[in-house]
Amino acid sequence: MLIQARNLGLTYAPRTPLERVALREIHLDIHPGERVGVLGPTGSGKSSLVQLLAGLLRPTTGAVWLDGVPAHARSAQAAARRSRIGLAFQYPERQIFEQTVFREVAFGPRQRRLDAADVSRRVQWALESVGLDPDTVAERVPFALSGGEMRRVALAGVLALQPEVLILDEPTAGLDCRGREELLGRILDWQARTGATLVMVSHDPDSLARAVRRVVVLADGCVVADGDAPQVLSDIVRLRALGLDVPQPVAVLSALREAGWPVRVDRLLPEEAADEIWAAHACAAGAAR
Amino acid sequence: MNLFLPGMYVAADSAIHRLDPRVKGAAALLLMILPFAAPEPASQLLLVAFVAAVAALSRVPLRALIGTLRTVFWLGLFMFVFYFFTTPGRAWIVWGPVALSWEGLLAGATQIYRLCLLVSISALLSFTTSPAQVAHALEVTLGPLGRLGLPVREAAMVVTIALRFVPTLNQELENLVRAQAARGADIRSPRPWRRVAAWVPVFVPLFVAAFRRAEELATAMEARGFRGMQARTHLYELRIARRDGVAALVVLGLVAAACALQRLS
Repeated sequence: MLIQARNLGLTYAPRTPLERVALREIHLDIHPGERVGVLGPTGSGKSSLVQLLAGLLRPTTGAVWLDGVPAHARSAQAAARRSRIGLAFQYPERQIFEQTVFREVAFGPRQRRLDAADVSRRVQWALESVGLDPDTVAERVPFALSGGEMRRVALAGVLALQPEVLILDEPTAGLDCRGREELLGRILDWQARTGATLVMVSHDPDSLARAVRRVVVLADGCVVADGDAPQVLSDIVRLRALGLDVPQPVAVLSALREAGWPVRVDRLLPEEAADEIWAAHACAAGAAR
Repeated sequence: MNLFLPGMYVAADSAIHRLDPRVKGAAALLLMILPFAAPEPASQLLLVAFVAAVAALSRVPLRALIGTLRTVFWLGLFMFVFYFFTTPGRAWIVWGPVALSWEGLLAGATQIYRLCLLVSISALLSFTTSPAQVAHALEVTLGPLGRLGLPVREAAMVVTIALRFVPTLNQELENLVRAQAARGADIRSPRPWRRVAAWVPVFVPLFVAAFRRAEELATAMEARGFRGMQARTHLYELRIARRDGVAALVVLGLVAAACALQRLS
């Protein structure tokens, strides 16, 4: 599904003393199968943007178009388009309410009035997709699970809807290093298998470096950069000016470059950075000989 | 996000905001008695004009006031219907055992008017008085009861905290509604039963979060040295200023005028 934002703006409490502009003049195209990251400091409008993309908020100006249909319209057609988008909010485990993991994950499919066999198949598949064993967790009380497991259950609840577009708002926030790696890996596996569009909000540039191909940077409600991940995430001057971090490998390469090493800085992953440093080192050693 | 919750404090700087909360509270109480003590149209016209003037002075957006009035719509409708059908009088329309009268219509309308006025006055009080001020005023006013061993300070603290968390919980509620809607909860279903059922996924996490928050807050307060049943001092002491005296005189004058008009007619 093609998602287009045109002149998109959102103002909270307009025409009151509490008026606050969250987003202004956003133009964005997200194509089917793309993996897009949304990066920005706290309060830059990331969460508002993704909720607008999913048709959950009504824009103040402009519109979001889902395959040519306005996302927030009340028509059945718009509802059908919206239902193809899965959105996991920040800390999705806080939305858990059912008594068992199975029922929690089955909530969405059941709301869609799917038959029992299909629901059960989807729950099984969704739990496996997030790395949980359906046989051991399905009948457990979700509130008794660990934080990381609860997060995965909540995510499974979204995946069980089999969305064409998956929007994740800070999916790894509050997880430890291993939990983060594991969850990101599962999400990427799922994306590779289904070919779905992935939109991921984060202010952790290392997570984005692993997960997405394209990065949109928001600041003060405006898009200040939009391009290939290596290009955007290695723009150390701009990101630091916005109070954002760069991926660790980029920081290391950039320091080496300042020290006179002939390395490129747009290597986002540790393995790529290692190769780059190794090549530069080999080159320097060859020249010395 | 809806920043104007019914009856919640609206941070602004106005003559009404600056008044002492005790004076405001007492004035509001007096004004709320007037629709019953002096029901004559002339007195009421004076009262309505005064409330309108206060609303204008308070710089509270009209939207907030209307939003608050809307919360009592069903209660108002119920009262209207009740009085309309039960007030005896000259029958106007007779329909089987039900007889409708002009007196009933008038009685129903009076009830709606009174309800709107009471809600407006109390809303103006809560719009212009921060939760901290409300609690402080309560603590000072109820202070003498503390000598009888009643936990006045703690009660004031509870009130402050409760008021403070209304907007937070409301924000959380809105987030949950959207989050569960994103998962397919049928919150806007035209069928009432499905709509009621759709609120379960909203309220369970809301309560879970509220309890967690309460526990965290209690721990945080203890960590910062809060101990119950101990006298606390205030950074800002309440003092009656000249403007409070003027305001009190104006309100008393209004009440006297309304009562005089009531006597005359």
